[in-house]
Amino acid sequence: MSELSELYRDALGELFNIGVGRAAHSLSQMVRNEIELSAPFVDLIRPDEVAVTLMGSEFQELSLVSIDFAGPFASKAMLLFPERNALAILSNMLDPELTPEEVAEFEQEAMCEIGNIILNACMSTLADEFQIELHGGLPEHFFCDTDSLAQFAADSADHLVLLLQIQLNMRQQFVQGHLLFLLSFSSLQALSACLERYLDRFGMA
Amino acid sequence: MDIELAEQLIDSLRVGLILLDHEGRIKSWNGWMQHHSGLTLADVRGQRLDTCFPDISGSRLEASITDTLRFKLSAMLAPSLNPNLLPLYHRPADRQHDQRMQQLIYITPLRHPRCACLIQIHDMTAALRRERRLRAQSTQLIETSYQDALTGVGNRRRFDQDLAQRFRQAQDKQRPIAMLMIDVDNFKAYNDHFGHQGGDACLIQVARTLREGLRRDGDRVSRYGGEEFALLLSETDREAACAVAERLRMAVEQLNLPHPLASGIGHVSVSIGVAAMIPTREQLCYILVAQADLALYSAKDAGRNCCMWYDAASGSASPLPASLIADLAVD
Repeated sequence: MSELSELYRDALGELFNIGVGRAAHSLSQMVRNEIELSAPFVDLIRPDEVAVTLMGSEFQELSLVSIDFAGPFASKAMLLFPERNALAILSNMLDPELTPEEVAEFEQEAMCEIGNIILNACMSTLADEFQIELHGGLPEHFFCDTDSLAQFAADSADHLVLLLQIQLNMRQQFVQGHLLFLLSFSSLQALSACLERYLDRFGMA
Repeated sequence: MDIELAEQLIDSLRVGLILLDHEGRIKSWNGWMQHHSGLTLADVRGQRLDTCFPDISGSRLEASITDTLRFKLSAMLAPSLNPNLLPLYHRPADRQHDQRMQQLIYITPLRHPRCACLIQIHDMTAALRRERRLRAQSTQLIETSYQDALTGVGNRRRFDQDLAQRFRQAQDKQRPIAMLMIDVDNFKAYNDHFGHQGGDACLIQVARTLREGLRRDGDRVSRYGGEEFALLLSETDREAACAVAERLRMAVEQLNLPHPLASGIGHVSVSIGVAAMIPTREQLCYILVAQADLALYSAKDAGRNCCMWYDAASGSASPLPASLIADLAVD
């Protein structure tokens, strides 16, 4: 897909990395332990390609947090972890005394908050750098599988998905997930306009 | 809706509401907040939240409020990740013990000329207490389901799970693991003579003796079947396992439980088969059981009330060295 030039994509990648860096800082403070986050790749794909892309990475049962953002551009932002990876994150973040069954009990609310932290950090970085306001809703948590991803693709056929692979590193453990930003064509244009102004400020547009 | 009714409704809600202005100062809070914080609106109006509650400075709550005021983002704070954030108390008496309410907090932006942020606080204390109680119950149930009803030691399910887990650990770390298969000698004759209740009482005593004979935390006796008990020993080589076996054999002998039909000593005794190995990646855990079993049958053949160990080199069982038995007898 070529709706975003390489320059724009690099700029977005850098902004998201600032965002996830801030999220890592907040998460580290919460668990009083070093947590690193990076989002090395930004890709723009069609919704029906999401399932294919994610299925290649051992996704079966998914733990998903979503937040709706509205402003100059509107987006449904999602953080996706394979269920197994989500539990691995939580067992590091919650009380170490908890058994795996107990960790699973807290999964919904705790993932909701972790997703909230990561997605808000990304969006606040964009809002900050673009000098805009992005009204963000409350996070919602779902469990889903690759079949529901196909449904998601059908429901959002007229949208594009900004896809970032995200890597979380804590206590020598690497956990992989994905960030998805669902954008309509008009929102993508608005995002491009924001990027243009942003790069312009640095004389790079 | 008239303002008076709106105020009454808001004060009747069973949820804490705090309104902040664009500078993060408290515009309003409802009856619930007053009740659970002990502070009236007059006490706090116009103050920033971190002035009223200094403990929140540097917390995620403070950061989230900043994000809401600055970027219009919403946030939720779960009690499992942010325990007891605000000094709010379920009952006034809890304040004396600083037993704070468990709180689920939502922070959302408002589009209003004077109000910029709404904070909602839900009391999760009862829900979390219920969860804790259910968890305690389920832990106890799990505990029971792994216990042998007669003797109180682990049951076969416990043993199978321990075996799979500890064998894997030994494989991963390439460390020794040992197993003792322990069988009460001439138990059928004992049962026939004393009846099943007498047999049960004997098993209870033997199980207690075996359990009390263990010296390391984490070592666990399980009832493998009828009158057979099994013991897994992590980080234990053959020599150390043989010493444990001989100690346990003597402990049962010293119980001096009369057994008129036992050939020889006339007391209840046990035979023990010992197996120990550093498992290779390919080996299955059942091989340890098979080896201990083979050694046990050799001990039975050798006249009972003795221990034998499985010798991998010859594929057969050997008696314990006389020096080891002599050393332990002196102890």
